[in-house]
Amino acid sequence: MSLPLLLFILLAVFLVFLLGLAAKSPKGLPLTSEEVIDALSQERHYARLPQILQSLREDDTDFLRRRGHLELLSQIRGERKRIALRFLHYLEKEYQLLLEASRILATLAPELSAIGEYERLKRNLRFVLLCRYLRWRLRLGLQPWNAFGSISDMAGEMTLKLEMATAQLGERALMAADFPSFLNKGRNGPE
Amino acid sequence: MAAPEILRNLTWAITTLFEIILFSYILRRRVYRSHPVFALYGLVVILQEASAAFAVRYLNPHSIEYFNFAWSVQAVVVCIRWLAVTEIARRVLAGYSGIWKMASHILVLASAIILAYSIAVSGARWDRLITSADRAVELCIGAFIVGMLLFARYYRLAIANLERQLATGFCLFSCFWVINNSIYQHWGSSAATLWEVLSIFSFFATLLIWISAIRNATAPQQVSYPVPISVQMYGELSKELDSRLQVLNRRLSHLLHSQDSRS
Repeated sequence: MSLPLLLFILLAVFLVFLLGLAAKSPKGLPLTSEEVIDALSQERHYARLPQILQSLREDDTDFLRRRGHLELLSQIRGERKRIALRFLHYLEKEYQLLLEASRILATLAPELSAIGEYERLKRNLRFVLLCRYLRWRLRLGLQPWNAFGSISDMAGEMTLKLEMATAQLGERALMAADFPSFLNKGRNGPE
Repeated sequence: MAAPEILRNLTWAITTLFEIILFSYILRRRVYRSHPVFALYGLVVILQEASAAFAVRYLNPHSIEYFNFAWSVQAVVVCIRWLAVTEIARRVLAGYSGIWKMASHILVLASAIILAYSIAVSGARWDRLITSADRAVELCIGAFIVGMLLFARYYRLAIANLERQLATGFCLFSCFWVINNSIYQHWGSSAATLWEVLSIFSFFATLLIWISAIRNATAPQQVSYPVPISVQMYGELSKELDSRLQVLNRRLSHLLHSQDSRS
């Protein structure tokens, strides 16, 4: 069989595979506009991140090793691993929420830029892959304590910035009087 | 050779029966109101079967007249199928003006590229030109539907089950047509009966999907789509969301790089 013919068959099989993915209903109910705005306006988990990150610094546990409390050290490290994983989870959750908001916004947009949407999709893929990568590194027992600690310095500033942006976003969305009702109408759908 | 002939005739008869059942459901459920082009397609496939029966009876199946007649009818059917698919895409996406504008441009462009590629790699053999063009169009339809469903899934747009299943049926049929066509091109007339039977079976499966979709379809509801916001407001909100997404991404990158630098 010639290569083009084989490619046609493979392409058709690939399309059937993609159809299987695309035709399924998305998991879970989509968020309503109120839920998104509410979530965006709430205090983020990052608000206490500097304190959490501070507790993850490696030098915090050095004294345990020096004094020979190895069992306690490993217990503390285990807890820190869980904290780090939880941090990643929140980060991912926050990201998904923002993406959901951006998708809802896209349904209202009079025009969309293909490049802008592509950039967002690319960023999303990168974020998801990096998150998974980091999660696996943590699960495999690599020790990112200092890595987490090193961002604690910037976390306070970041958190403040995020909170400001969130508050602005929520206010502006609420200022558009019919914004939520438009969204909800659209999401009732023809189902 | 009698057995394949009987099997072929039997499947042909069953398929025609199911086409009539589909059309009767279209009429009973008044799907022609919401999906006029799909209803027309349902009618045209029945007429195609009738015309095929006519051609077999009055024309020599090995003559050029038969070939021209059969492929002319097929061309009309494929065109109406395209229109039916665009009708579904419009029903799914057109309520969201921004997404519809962007998606329609991308889908048409992608379809045109696939069409051009398919024709280009098919070679310059005139005897195969029609089957190659037919396969290219079917591949286009399949890619168009998958693209449309991916857009709808990405933006979490609500799709009625009827639209979803009609699109699934069209796409499966197009993909199997491409596979069948490629098999036929490779093995030639020695696989003609197999090709015909596979084509009929894939269409039969598609008919079952459509009948089930229309049978289970609820009365068409008045869909209320979101009213677009102003460009300025969209720009501002989108910019803020983007900046937040970027902040989170940078945070993750920072995390990763500081980790990498240690390992």
